[in-house]
Order: sequence, then C-alpha cells, then structure tokens
Amino acid sequence: MVWLSVHQNPVHVVMKARVLMVLMGTVLIAAPAFAQQKTVTGKVTDEQGAPLSGVSVVIKGTNRGTSTNGVGFYSLRAATGDVLRYRYLGTLPVERTVGAEDVMNVQLTRTATSLNSVVVTALGQTAVQRSIGTSQQTVSGASVAQTQRENFVNALQGRVAGVNVTSSSGVPGASSSITIRGISSISSSNQPLMILDGLPMDNKTLNTGVLASDAPGSATAFSNRGVDFTNRAADINPEDIESITVLKGPEAAALYGIDAANGAIVITTKRGRVGGGLEYSNSFRIEHTGARPEIQRVYGPSAVGSTTFLYFGAPYADTAKLYDNVDGFFRTALTQKHNLSFSGATPDSKISYRLSTGVTRQQGVIPGADYNRTNLSGASTGQVTSWLNADLSMIYAYDTNDQSFKGDNGPLLGLLVWPSTDNAKDFLTPAGTRRRLTNLSAASEVDNPYFSVAKNTNKSRNNRLITNLGLTVTPFSWGNIHTILGTDGYTNQNQIVRDPQSALGLTRGGILDRADDITRNLNAQTLLNINSHAFTKSLSISGLLGNAISDEKSTVDALTGQGFLDPNFVSINNTTLKSNLTTITQRRLVSGFGQAVIDYKNYLYVTVQGRNDWTSTIPVARNSFFYPSITSSFVFTDAFPSLRRFMTGKLRAAIAEVGRDALPYSYRPSLENKTTSYGGYGYGFTGPNLGLKPEFAKSRELGTELSFLNDRLGIDATVYRKQTKDQIVQNIRGSYATGFILFNLNGADTRNTGLELTVRAAPVRRTDFSWDVLANFDHERGVTLALPHALPESYVSDTWLYGNVRSGTEPGLSTLSLTGLFYLRDTVPGRHAILIDPSSGLPLRSSVFIDRGYDRQPDYTVGLTNSFRYKRLSLDFLLDFRKGGDVFDATQHYLTTRGLTPATLDRNKPIIIPGVLRDGKENTANPTINNIVIVPAAQTAYYTNMSEEQFIQKNINWVRLRDITLSYVLPERFARNASVFVTGTDLFLITNYTGLDPIVNGNDAAVGGAGGVGIDYGNFPVPRGVNFGVRLGF
Amino acid sequence: MFAGCAVLSVACSTSDYLDVNTNPNAPQSVSPNLYLAPMIHWMVTAPQYDGRFVGHYTQEWVSTSSNFSPAQTWGRMGYDPASDNGAEQWRDVYWSLGQNLVDMMTKAKAEQRWDLLGVGLVLKAWGWQALTDLHGEIIVKEAIDQSKFSFDYDTQQYAYFEIDSLLNAAIVQLQRSDGAVDPGYLAVGDKMYNGDRTKWLKLAYGMLALNHNHYSNKSTYNPADVISLVDKSFTSNADDALLPYPGTSPDNADFNFWGPRRDNITRYRQTQFVVNLMNGTDFGVVDPRMSRMLAPSPDGQYRGLDPNVLGFGALSASQQPDNFYGYPGTTGAGLPSRYIFSDKSKIPLMTYSQLQFIKAEAAYRLGDKATALNAYTNGIASHIDFVNARNSDDNQAVTQISSAEKTAFLASPQIIPAAGALTLTQIMSQKYIAQFGWGHNELWMDMRRYHYTDIDPASGKQVFPGFTPPTNLYADNGGQVVQRIRPRYNSEYVWNRAGLDAIGGLALNYHTKPMWITQP
Repeated sequence: MVWLSVHQNPVHVVMKARVLMVLMGTVLIAAPAFAQQKTVTGKVTDEQGAPLSGVSVVIKGTNRGTSTNGVGFYSLRAATGDVLRYRYLGTLPVERTVGAEDVMNVQLTRTATSLNSVVVTALGQTAVQRSIGTSQQTVSGASVAQTQRENFVNALQGRVAGVNVTSSSGVPGASSSITIRGISSISSSNQPLMILDGLPMDNKTLNTGVLASDAPGSATAFSNRGVDFTNRAADINPEDIESITVLKGPEAAALYGIDAANGAIVITTKRGRVGGGLEYSNSFRIEHTGARPEIQRVYGPSAVGSTTFLYFGAPYADTAKLYDNVDGFFRTALTQKHNLSFSGATPDSKISYRLSTGVTRQQGVIPGADYNRTNLSGASTGQVTSWLNADLSMIYAYDTNDQSFKGDNGPLLGLLVWPSTDNAKDFLTPAGTRRRLTNLSAASEVDNPYFSVAKNTNKSRNNRLITNLGLTVTPFSWGNIHTILGTDGYTNQNQIVRDPQSALGLTRGGILDRADDITRNLNAQTLLNINSHAFTKSLSISGLLGNAISDEKSTVDALTGQGFLDPNFVSINNTTLKSNLTTITQRRLVSGFGQAVIDYKNYLYVTVQGRNDWTSTIPVARNSFFYPSITSSFVFTDAFPSLRRFMTGKLRAAIAEVGRDALPYSYRPSLENKTTSYGGYGYGFTGPNLGLKPEFAKSRELGTELSFLNDRLGIDATVYRKQTKDQIVQNIRGSYATGFILFNLNGADTRNTGLELTVRAAPVRRTDFSWDVLANFDHERGVTLALPHALPESYVSDTWLYGNVRSGTEPGLSTLSLTGLFYLRDTVPGRHAILIDPSSGLPLRSSVFIDRGYDRQPDYTVGLTNSFRYKRLSLDFLLDFRKGGDVFDATQHYLTTRGLTPATLDRNKPIIIPGVLRDGKENTANPTINNIVIVPAAQTAYYTNMSEEQFIQKNINWVRLRDITLSYVLPERFARNASVFVTGTDLFLITNYTGLDPIVNGNDAAVGGAGGVGIDYGNFPVPRGVNFGVRLGF
Repeated sequence: MFAGCAVLSVACSTSDYLDVNTNPNAPQSVSPNLYLAPMIHWMVTAPQYDGRFVGHYTQEWVSTSSNFSPAQTWGRMGYDPASDNGAEQWRDVYWSLGQNLVDMMTKAKAEQRWDLLGVGLVLKAWGWQALTDLHGEIIVKEAIDQSKFSFDYDTQQYAYFEIDSLLNAAIVQLQRSDGAVDPGYLAVGDKMYNGDRTKWLKLAYGMLALNHNHYSNKSTYNPADVISLVDKSFTSNADDALLPYPGTSPDNADFNFWGPRRDNITRYRQTQFVVNLMNGTDFGVVDPRMSRMLAPSPDGQYRGLDPNVLGFGALSASQQPDNFYGYPGTTGAGLPSRYIFSDKSKIPLMTYSQLQFIKAEAAYRLGDKATALNAYTNGIASHIDFVNARNSDDNQAVTQISSAEKTAFLASPQIIPAAGALTLTQIMSQKYIAQFGWGHNELWMDMRRYHYTDIDPASGKQVFPGFTPPTNLYADNGGQVVQRIRPRYNSEYVWNRAGLDAIGGLALNYHTKPMWITQP
C-alpha cells in the first residue's frame, strides 16, 4: 500500500517485483517449527446431524489446517490453547479452543445469507459477510446448472439484482451480453470482467471486423449484424461451476482494477472432496418455438415478378390456393446433455481430485441450427508439504455451432414476406439452383427461408484449454503467499457461406469467409496475505499486497473468397477472387495493489484498497495510474446489542475510483493496404490522438443488510452513483476536414445511478416443508452528461441496422436512448403536432438524427425466485418482471411497409393523419389543421414511407417464467444420491409488446456501448423448452 | 513458484514489456510513392460515384429504380436528406487524399523527389477544384488539422486562387529533373502515366486551362490565356489521363465503378435529352457514337426517358431502353458491356478531346472562329477515337466506328460547319457528348455557366438544345434550379454545423444558391 500509492512508473514495478522475490525467497528458507502438539480429531455435522465434508478447519492466526472428509471427520495437530476455526461456505463460522479433550465435534448452522456466513470476495479471498462494505451477490452453481441453459450467463438474469442479460436471439449458440448496473460506456464494452478460479477468463464474442470480407470500405461487410457468434464464456460447463459471485460496482471489484470498471463475475469451479464418488446426470429437452409471426392473408402481392414482395395488390381470390409457409419451417428441437464426474480426496484431505466430462447436443428450432459442446475438466489439490499447497485446474472445451443468418439476411424475414400463393418449401429448381419468383436483380429478391437455412451457413468450431496453477506457500505464522499462473487459450474457427445463388452472394458468385482466431491469454497473480493482527483487544488489522501481470493476445487469420467454381463445393480452394486479412491484437498490463482491513470489535470494518495499473494501450507518459477505494461496514446491531432482539443489521458505505484504458492501437493511426486500383497504402478511418489518457469512474454506494424474525426475512438494499469522466469514446465522428473520419477521444461524461433491493424470506420452514422466496429489484439509469468537443451526438454505427433509427445518445439523454429521422413537429409548447406535407397529406420527417425521448432503459426489473421443499420433492421457479423501457419493432415496420401486417388491412379506409400542415403557419397559435384525406391503399407511400418512430413501442412490460424445476430425491436404495427432475424454460411470456419477444439484440454481444439491445429486426425469439433428466451419485 | 518468479522477473525487469502497442497489422509510415496509387484511384473514381447524382442534374441519365432516390430527389434537382450521397469527392479529398497527401508531399520534398512532389500538388489542386465546383464554399485554409473540431469555410474565390497557385507550383516542380527525380520510382504508384512527369506537366496545364475557363461569366475572363494553357497541355489522345481498372480484388474496389460487376447503374437509363443530341434531332445527323455509347431498346430503336416521368412511363417492354450494359433487365458479373460501362474500361480524369472543346469555347469567345473550328473538329475526331478505344479496353463485343463512318460524320456540314457558322450550341453540345458518362463535374459546371437554358445569341438556340429542368422541382428548392451540392452530411451537417451556419449552409434551399464562379 504505502509504496504503491506513491510510485507511478514501471521502474517501480521492478522494485516491487524484487520485494516480492525477496519475500518468496524467504519462503524457501523459512523452515517452519512448531511447538508441543497433539492430534485433535472430530466430526463436523450440520443442524440435522448430517456429516459435512470439505469443512475448513484452521488454527486461528495461522494457515495450518485441514478439511473434513466425506463423512465429516477431520484430524489435525494442534496445541492446547490454539483456537480452531471451522469455516464452510454458506454456514456460520465456529471457533473452539483446544483444551484437554482430543475429540472436538462441531455442528455448523447453515445460513445462506446471514452476516456471519463466509463468502468469496475479490481475488478469490473469502471473508465473513459482516466485514464487506460493498454490494455483492452469490448464486450457487447448482441453481445455475438446474436451469439447463447451455450458456450459464443466461441463467443469471433475475437471480442477481442489477445484472442484465440479453441474448442476441433464440438460436443455439447465440451470444449473450451481460451488464451490471447499466450502460456507462458510450462506445466501449460494458460487460464485466469474468474471473475463473482467480484469473481473468476471456468472454469475447467474435467481432465481424476481423473478417476479410469486412475490411474497411467493403460492400460485403456484416458489421456485427446478420451473423452471430457465441460469447466465449459459454465454453464453461455449468455443471463444473461451484458458485458465481457477482461483484457489482467498481467498489467491490476495485482490486481487479482496470477491467472491472463494469463489475466482475467471479466463478469458482468445483473441487474434489472426501467421499465424492461418481456422479452422473443427464437431461433431455424438447423445444418448440414460442411465438409465431402474424401476417395478413387477405390482400395479395402487388405484382409478383417485378416488386420486392409488396402486398398492396387485389384481395386473394376465394379459390386461390394459399400455402402456410411458416408451418413446417420450425422443428421440434431435441437436446441432450450428459455429465459424468469422479471426485474424491484422501481422508486427511491433503490430496483431492475431481474429473468431469460433459456432453451437450443442442438442436435449435430453426432447421440446421445446432450447438454441441464437449467438456473435459480436471481439478486437483495437494498439500505438498506443511507449508506448500498446490492446486491445478484444467478445463478443456470443444464446441461446434451452426447458426442461421439473422436480421436483413436471415430466414425470418424471408419466411414472413414469401408470397402465400407460392409453396416456399419447394425452393430449388429442377436443375438444383435457387428457384426465384421475380425478375429483380438477385440481391433485391429476399431469399426463400428454406433456401436460406439450407444454403447460407455460419459454422464455428472452438477448441479451448484453460489451465490454472495455484500455489499457496505458508512460510510464516502471520501470512501466506498465493500465486496463480494461468493460461487461457483457444482456437476459434469460423466459416461463413453466402451461397452463390443467394441474394447476398449472387452478384459475386458466392462469398466464403474463413476466420481463425488464435487467442492466448497469460496471467500471473501473486498475493501476500497478512493475517489478522490484533493491536488491542478490540482493534485488529489484516491486509494483502499483490501483483498481477497479464498478456492478452489474439491473432485472427481471415480469408475470403468469391466466385465459387463449383457452386455446391465449400472450400476457399473453390473460389476465384481471394483476399486475406490478419488482425493481431495484444495488450499487456502490469498491476500492483494492496488492501488493509481494520476490524474494530468485529462490528466496524474499514477496508482501504489501492491499485496501480500500467497498461500498454495508453501513451507512455500517462500509462500509469493509481486509484484508491475505501469501504466500510458497520454492524450496528452488534454495536447496540439492545437492537438484536428485533433484528440484525449492517450498514455499508463505499467509495471507489477505477481507471480504464483504451483498446490496443487506439492513439496512433496506421496505414491500410488499399484494394483500389494498384494497391498502395493509405490511412484508415481513425485519426491520431496522441493525448489519449485513461478514463476514470468514480463510484459510491450506500447499503444496508437487515434481517428479522430470526433471519426468516432479510433485506439488502443498495443505492449507488457512478460517474465516468474523460471517458474514451471510440469511433466518434468529426468533420472530415480533420483528414479523418473517426477519432478515439477522451471527453465523454456519463452518470449511472440506481437502487438495488434484495428481499429474501422463508415464510415456511418446517422439517418436511419449507418455502423460500428471493426477490431482486433493480432500478438503474445511465445518463450522458457530455460528449468530447461538445459534439452533438455519439452513436454506435453497427446499431444503425434498420431504417433510420440507431443507438445514439446526446448530452442529457439516457445512455440507452434511440435517435432517428423522426417526424417533424411544430415548436409550440404543449402541442408539438406532426407536420404534414401540404402536397401529399403525409407526415414530414427530420433530415437529421433527433431525439424524441425514446429510451430502452426499463424503469425497473424484478427477479422473483420461489423454492418449495416438501419431503423429497422440491419446486423452484424464477419469474422475471420488467416495467418500462422501449423496444423498436423493426420487423413490424418492415412488414408494414410491405403491406403484410394485419394493421394494414384497413387500407381502403380514408384517413386524415392528425397534424398541422407545414404551410408557414405551423409554429403559430393558429396553424392549419391537416384536412387532407388519404386512402392508404391508393397512396401506399403512407406505408412505405412510414417513420420507424411508429414502431418504437413505449414502456414495454413483461412477466416471464424464466425457468421452473420440479425435482424428486429418490430413496437411497437406488443410489447414494439420486433425483429426477423436470425443468421448463421460458414457458410463458406475458407482455404488452406486440412483436415476437422483447428480449432482443439487433446486433450481437461484440458491439460496444448500448449496442443493439431493444432493436428487434428479423430475430428469432427464445423457444419454449421442457427438460427432464436424472442425477445419480454413487 | 519458480515459474512465477521467472515470469515476474522477466516481465518486470524489462521496462519495454509494455511496449507492444505498435500496430503489428499495418505500418504507420511508408515510402512516399506507396501513398500514390489509392489517391490517383480516387481522383478518377470519386467523380464517378457522385456522377450517379450529378448525372441526374445534367440529365445524362435517370434511375428507374423506385419512387424515391435518386429519381425523385436528384432527378428533381434535389438531394437525399441525411445521406452522404453526392459527397464521395468530399470524403476522398479530405480523407483518401487528406493526411496521406500531406505525408507523401512532406516526404517527397525531404527526399528531393520533385516529380512526386509535383504530382502531389496536382492532386491537391484537383481536390479543391472538384470540391469547390460541386459545393461552392469549402474548407481550405483550416483543412487537415486533427486538433480542430470546428472548421471555417473559405470562399470559392479563395479556392480558385489556391488552385491556380498550386498548379503553378506543380508546373515548377514537374519541370525539374534534378534531385531524386525517377520515373521508375514514381511509376510504382502512378499507373496513369507510368511515372512520366512530362505528362503530369501537361495535365497541370490542362487543369489550369479548365480552371481559368470557368471565369467565362466574369469580366476578368481571359480566353487567350486559356488557349495558351491548352496548347501547353495534351497534344493527342496519347496524353489522356486514363486510369485502368485491374479488376482483381474481391471487394470490387479496383473494378470500374460503372461496370456490371459493381452493379451501380443497372437500373439507370439514358435520357431523351442525350439521345436527341446524337440521333439527329438536334443536329440533323445520326452520330456514329450513339450506337457505341448509348443503349438501344429491344426493338432496335434508340430512346431515352423523360426525367419527369417515373420509371419507364408508358413505354412497352420492347420500347424500354436497355441499360448501359446493353441488356433489358438485370445483369450479372462478367457479362460483356459497352463504352466506359465495362468492368475494365479505363476512366479518364481529363481528355485531349475535352481540352480541345475548352480551347474551342475560349477561341469562340475571343472571336477567333478559325481556331475555334479547328479545336472543335479535333475535339469530335479525337472523341470518336476515344470511343473506339474504350470499346476495346475490356475486349467488348461492340463494333468499332470505322474510319469511313468517322470521315462521313466529320464531313457533314451540320456537324462541322464553316468557321463563321460555328455556334456555341455546337461546341457545348459536342463537349457534352465527349464528357457524357464520366466528366460529370465539368459537364455540370458547363451547364451552370450557361445557366442550364441560356440561348446562344448566334444560333438563337439553347446552348444545350432542348434541355429543360424538371417540371416538378424538389420541395426544398423553392422553385429554383440546383446550383451546388450540399456539403457531406455526415461530415458537416452533423459535426460542423457552426461552420455551415456561417455560410448559410443550413438553409433548406442552400443547394439552389448560385456560386461565385458562375456569376458576373
């Protein structure tokens, strides 16, 4: 701490490193000597008397200890007068002084949320809940696995207050973005840091910018629309997860530093325990698509053959044969999972192991969309000597994912607009080529959906190995040194085919993309933990010093080819025009940090933290930056014991700063190899900014944890306020007169405020019947306060994916606002009537992107979990509520402009659009009220030029049953531990949204800022599924 | 743990551990000639991008694509709101040239590569010429400065003087053969003239002639000076500034913009105005170039569309003109096409023929009718050769104009009159034909200099015979014809509104405000 705060230069890292080396050196020399000792044994059980395995038994003030075996026994050498501390996640810690007896049996009380329970905190430390001054929440791995989600990220929605998960679509392997406490960064990622067993884990979603066909200036770019790739956190098998702790704000995550400005998700994987044995579980799922789009079948196409499927024609004749092209498109999807694990430990728990394997075969309801994953993982721990403990974990994941295209190029839009007079299932000509209905240029005729899913493919394959080696050295009685070395490496291969016959591929004779992403991230972290040291009877202090080094590198080799020689053979060797693109990205980060915890009488805790980061991505003069945090916790019911009759309670307060760096290569432009005539070099879009500096978020939170009625009712409330200053905005535009188009500039300022409330209650708690309720309430709001150089608007260009609406924000607006070419309105306060073109009677639209108050931020969300236990039967379900927040139903706009929505059926009814004529009097007190009658059927511009504004649905609410599980524990004669279960996922949705599903992302999780959340364009909704399976333990 | 120590010590005792932020994907600086090829590409190609829209103003063509842009906006002398259409040259002058041109010229100067420096000056002059002719007031003095985020506009007069001084500076540099002047080195980036600085020198004179000839409405107009500059410029078609398109890149960036592979004008059709210039309506003789430049209808007749009528109007399928590739409907990559509309047809920046018409106009205004007729005749003859050359760039199937056809056409008194009978209508109409399809910037400048419908006092006919602005002008025009294109939307209307406001650029009818150069 002391030396950390003053040094701002990498040279001092060297010094610090030497300090650590000296410390480590002493480890090897220090030969621990112990006093007169005896062997203490005993059994640890829970309230019901059932043995608890894996309970940590440690001599207080030292690191010497053991853990209990599979039948709860432990054995430990200790001296009389030593205090043994028994700790087990989710129970109250117990301390016993060693006396004359040799057998010490202990009973632990389960207390999932009380102040005395032991929880995981930053850097893999554990602490007693009462000492923590920040907001964090833990979800058990079992409850995540129970939802049967392939991507564990999807199981977190509603289970943690403040966490927001948005899946890009209902297609298997779709990327999911996760944000904590809203959107604070206008252009960069808002996703939290993922920590797996103590070290950062890559959660990248491939950005289409690395594809060779996406090279700058390309007309074949996907721009993170139209195709999607799995977010890499999905590689982890949920069955391997012991627990997930969400550190919500920078306050809680400050020790993780630079990458945890948006919070951190700390994943702990399972370890072996004595008596673990063999476990097998499986699950089989049947899924159906939940919602089906509705289209009118009264009016026929305007002129099949020469229009892009416009339905402003004559009504279908009664005798017309109409095909239900939607019917039969979706399939019943079958998914199966099998998980097998072996675990165990030596009776003294000095060596433990866990080996597991899992296989997932997931089908999507869209034909051809599949996700398969195979996991192999192993974790072993060994007490090598009395002062050295080693822990090795390895996770291997192999997954394959076939996705359909989405949005503009996806099958859903084709499915909707395909003429009902034509049988879409018949999608090939007798010659085996694309059967077309129009004489339009090939790119103008939407692909037949059956053709699309069969021919346009997006396949990826991923091989990943994550290894973590942890070493704990305990050379002194006052502390230990914990080092973790980790590698996270994967090879992600992608192949995207735009078929030579397809709308996208035809003019180029087919387009094939290949991109191989080889990522290897190296991390090393060393902590010197200093055990609690009592200064007086009531005051003690503990601390840690640490150092972390990371080196993240990704190399993407991409190839694209056009002009398929054999139209049906997919290989880059089969293409004629080829080009390639290599994208190397590397960042290095060195950090030093420290923490001191002051404990006054076990009821007042003050934690002071500091961290200094040195990053490679900021110019050297400013690449070192320090930021502090201070948090405190006050257990007022212990300070004023008279209150304890009614309640237990604690107050928290925290203030933290956290810095953040830029993306690699942000401040100095480089040249691009141009593909225009005769090649050569030229600058890319982005200009220089040699003055780039880190951005800082300053955050403060206040909270309280209260429990009543003997812990039957608990409340955890937090309010927070985070302001991000000097925010780096990527790709912000300026006048081209600068010589460039985009810049990476400091200067945005955003503020996030919110309230999180967690209420837990146990209305019934009897021996054979219990009922637990957990409600997570979240209200959050992000506001843009300023933009660099007072520029008027910043937008995320990839989100400009349909019409003229995009994720744009201006000072004073929500960070989740939408800007667009909305209707022009008069300027009379209180009236703001739509301006009407006097010549056509149709509304006039703005020619610049303007704000009309559209905000995708919900007013609040509630996740409500109920758990019932009746003897061997249990029922758990999670209801997810949302109130408010706007959703842009672009699909509906698309269909309306084509005369396909049922809303266009009254097309022959004359109407007058409410508004005032733009005749020069529109801004006066006496404007000309529009009186021009139009008949939409005759004046189809009414539909075709309709503003997207009409389709931004305000204040979308929903109630959805995210998951429900009924399980039954079989009597022990079948197996040691056997149960059967049925789990339903996304079984119902009640919403005022008229589209398919308001949980949407028009882009994918790779897009920064607010991204395409709440933009619904050609997206497949999440299907309904029913899972059933067994869990067996032997 | 030892591994940990090793990582720590290796990592931390090396102060350059963090020095990994030099982009490994691309260089930050290259040899000056490597900047050149993309800039030349855009100098020639960017005017074609904007030509899709300018060509609607000049009624070279009209799009049949839909009820909206470009037929209903540009076709009505309007513009596309909130769109960057019509501002490709804005992008390329400030960005594709922009800092690249600054870097190239700085390095060329330091390395005494006077030929490359001269080429750089020509490129810079071209940029301001193209932009000011399209947009009027532009940003010159404050341009290419990454520390600024609001930019003041300069007057068109300033831009014109700046172009003049840049071209004169280029002429000085291009005359030098000392220092590191090296045709082989220059040719690495220059596939237009293959490193021949003497041709660049001629181009500089030609651009100066074009610049000076734009003063025709002003009292300072000096036609003798224009003639002398043309005479120092191109002497034959061999001097034409032509960019070839190799057509090898999968992103189509090095294909001719008009070619079927780029698919940009598949739904465009020639106007009746253009057809009338060549089918004998205006000049009594069928021009042999018509069947090599324009497209027939399936019934074999040559027809054009009326910009006031949407789509094909009442024309039957067999009467609807084919597209410029020569096909009725759509087309696919690789199909043979015609004239400059083929995938590998060369596109000119400036031609000998064009300069001869400039000379003819200047001489006519000077009163030297004999010089005017001679230049006018050279202009037509050399353009016939140009048409034949473009129809063989890409091994097209179009029959060449035979020398007999050429001779017969040039012998026609309606086309080549006696010197005394030559009219401005003839000069400007033939210049229009010679620039049709590629010379949009100059073509539109010609029309604006003659206010679209000026009458040639000598002939009593319109300078551009039969040209009529659209009857239903775009709503924002307030009944006025178009005079300029609004500056690029995503550069200026969003991010530099203060600068625009100072020149009145925020007005809804700004695009109808006459420019300085076309006023007396």
